[in-house]
Amino acid sequence: MDSFTAITLAVFLPFILAGILPTVAKLLKDKIGWYASAVAFLSLLLVAQAAPEIIHGETIQRSIEWLPSVGIDFSFYIDGLSVMFGFIVSGIGVIIMSYSNGYMSKKEDLPRYYQQLLFFMGSMLGMVFSANTIQLFIFWELTSITSFMLIGYWRNRPMSVYGATKSLLITATGGLFMLAGFLVLHAITGTFDIPTIMHSESIKEMLHGHDLFLAALILIFIGAASKSAQGPFYIWLPNAMEAPTPVSAFLHSATMVKAGIYLVARIHPIFSGTEAWFILVSGVGIFTMLLAGFLAFRQTDIKGILAYSTISQLAYLMTMYGYTTHHEPGIGVAAATFHLLNHATFKACLFLVAGIVAHETATRDITKMGGLRKEMPITFIVATIGALSMAGIPPLNGFLSKEMFYEASVEMGHLVGGPWSILIPALAVLGGVFTFAYSIKLIDGIFLGKRPTKGLPDHIHDPSMIMLAPAIFLAGLIILFGLVPSIPVHYFVGPTVSGILLEEVHLHVKLWHGITPSLIMTIVTFALGLLTYTQYGKIADWQDRFNAKFPWISVNYYYDAAVENAKKVTSKFSNRMQPGPVKTYVVALLLLFIAMFAIPAAMLATTLVPQNLNFDVPLYESIIFLFMIASALGAALLPRYIPAIISLSGLGYLVALLFIYLQAPDLALTQVLVETLSTIIFLLAIVKIPQKFREHIPKTTLVRDLLISVTIASIVFILLINATQGIVPPFESLSHYFVEKSLSLAGGHNIVNVIIVDFRGYDTLGEISVLCLAAFGVYNLIHSRGDDQ
Amino acid sequence: MTTLITKTITKICLPLIILFSISLLLAGHNNPGGGFIGGVMFASVIALTYVAYGLDYIKSFFDPDWSNWFGFGLLLASLTAFAALAFSHNFFRSAVEFVHLPFFGEIELVSAGLFDIGVYFVVIGGLLSIFKNVGDDK
Repeated sequence: MDSFTAITLAVFLPFILAGILPTVAKLLKDKIGWYASAVAFLSLLLVAQAAPEIIHGETIQRSIEWLPSVGIDFSFYIDGLSVMFGFIVSGIGVIIMSYSNGYMSKKEDLPRYYQQLLFFMGSMLGMVFSANTIQLFIFWELTSITSFMLIGYWRNRPMSVYGATKSLLITATGGLFMLAGFLVLHAITGTFDIPTIMHSESIKEMLHGHDLFLAALILIFIGAASKSAQGPFYIWLPNAMEAPTPVSAFLHSATMVKAGIYLVARIHPIFSGTEAWFILVSGVGIFTMLLAGFLAFRQTDIKGILAYSTISQLAYLMTMYGYTTHHEPGIGVAAATFHLLNHATFKACLFLVAGIVAHETATRDITKMGGLRKEMPITFIVATIGALSMAGIPPLNGFLSKEMFYEASVEMGHLVGGPWSILIPALAVLGGVFTFAYSIKLIDGIFLGKRPTKGLPDHIHDPSMIMLAPAIFLAGLIILFGLVPSIPVHYFVGPTVSGILLEEVHLHVKLWHGITPSLIMTIVTFALGLLTYTQYGKIADWQDRFNAKFPWISVNYYYDAAVENAKKVTSKFSNRMQPGPVKTYVVALLLLFIAMFAIPAAMLATTLVPQNLNFDVPLYESIIFLFMIASALGAALLPRYIPAIISLSGLGYLVALLFIYLQAPDLALTQVLVETLSTIIFLLAIVKIPQKFREHIPKTTLVRDLLISVTIASIVFILLINATQGIVPPFESLSHYFVEKSLSLAGGHNIVNVIIVDFRGYDTLGEISVLCLAAFGVYNLIHSRGDDQ
Repeated sequence: MTTLITKTITKICLPLIILFSISLLLAGHNNPGGGFIGGVMFASVIALTYVAYGLDYIKSFFDPDWSNWFGFGLLLASLTAFAALAFSHNFFRSAVEFVHLPFFGEIELVSAGLFDIGVYFVVIGGLLSIFKNVGDDK
């Protein structure tokens, strides 16, 4: 199988296999999680199938024509970056879905859970392999939607709903900014294809000099920042922790939040090497790194610590990808890529541990925990490995990439010069200090110290291997990557860096590389980190006083105010627009019709006087017409509902009779059947309404309704009279085409049917979809009303 | 509102009308008929039995979930539209094939016919689920 086919399958198989998941769930019952794990494993194998060529330094792109008229192809671009993400997404996917088998209670709605996880995995894989900005955008928004559904998995918890809404509002709106950025990019470069822009020096040069360069960069970066919870957009991620913990580990630490980082890495070759890129990406990164690092230190919910820590770690990546100068466009790229991989391992590991701890102790509050090392020895060891890696202790993988981060910061500071040569490394160290402090806090708070006397269950123990094995596996990876860094560097980081910098790169990462500035910075980090941790009480006091003094400094304050106001305004608007009685809507619709057609109809009536009206009506037709008038009057004037409806349907049957005389059997048949069914449904609905005389209608309303009816009737009359004149010269009749081609193109003699199912098949598909929606609508209307009673 | 006469007529008409609806569906490509009209025909005869015998009585031995019918129909119709893509044609491209079968003679197989069957099921499912929901509402 060639790589393109493998990747196409890796992206679409999760969707297809998730589609049949509910059916499989009936067979496997609560073992369905293993099916989902198997699907993820299949994707992992398919990504691995494409990997060897990429590791040898090749890139593959293949397209299928999709919308050729606007220059959009369905296209996959397979390079080091996308393959590394492919591995992270499918690999962590396997781990998470296996772990969920132990975590999720059997009483939960498991098919929905796994189906959405698989949908997410497919969307994420599709996103990272997309070569085309529009295709990337579609998969990007799909990940936002699946994330929304997974955060809101527990639908009846208000906080879940709040978190889900918040994440969707922020990430999907960010996605729209990104789309606008892509369109600006298209306006400048004339293509939607990312590799085309990436590989063409002339396009890049033109882009860098273009007036709209900054607009495109900022718009796309807003998309990336909102997805990766950077800058002011960070607020959605802590609330997203309402999701089941495996979901938080998968989407909100290891993969989906890295989509923004992926995007930054993907457009790195296009936009980097400019001052704007450095200021925007690194500036937002450093700011977020410090803020979120500090906030993580202050949390008491273990998932809260991990959430803010994720924001802070993602900000590291942003900062590093932002390090760029004109001559050295990719200073931090290697460090960022390595740290990205390491973060996926240690953060997913820590989330799994958090899930285990919350599962066993039934709380997530770190102040209620302590001294669990004796009861959960294995969990304790795994957690310590993960946390120490995050803190940057040798010989774990976090140490290596943290060193590279410091190295890149020193180099960047040196290249910018002036006070920045000290300031940038100093800020980097400060970020590291917070990371160190909250990592220690996690271990100390949960596992060390004394066990609190109350608030915890009596018997706490390590969980089953189903939950433990994935975490142990990740801890193993952390140690392996730390001791033998050449493995990840050779297979993942090297090809990725080559993919971003578009040149052959040979990286050498060693555990011990002598006494360098970065090593000194690391030692300073540890010392200051310990100091910060011991001063926790003072810092907490200071921050609480600060928050009480300035409540308006929080972004959440503005988000909540904006959403509350939007709710108020929209409910006011919809209450005015939808008062309830159907009559109001009908009047509005009819008035709209009059507004649209009154003037054209009046003009037609004056200019286009019918030439050849045929007054030679046969006797039987005129009798039918008389009956029709009588039954129409009956429908309007009869005082009771049921006779009026019967009279109305009588009118319908008379029309059908007319169709027969006019030699249109199809129409007649349809008319009879539709009339029958609609009359029955009408009767079923109307018998529930009190059957006394109709309500008294005031005279003004009567006059108004009469006026509307007469106007509409005259407009329709004028339009019909003119329509019977046939096609007016500048336009041509379409029917010849259908009459001629019906047999030769579609093999049918019945032109009406051929038009419905073949020539206008797309319309019909739309119509039957509407019919399905109407059926759902009726179902909801009837069943939702039952809830209120 | 139901009399013995209605019930008896319904009993006789039911199989005839169902057969007629199927023939309308299959004949549709060349003669008057088609998926829509066949579907409405089928739906109205089921509606007739509901009215003649009462919804609760019919439901006691024959109670399909009509929403599955329109789900299936919509799936079938969309699949025939997408099937063209699998053969590297444009979306919705149709195909015609003439097959010679013993006893039946020349038979025309049209991919649009499958689409029409999808329409048939959507119409039946959609109308009857509306009908049943409105009728069931106490």
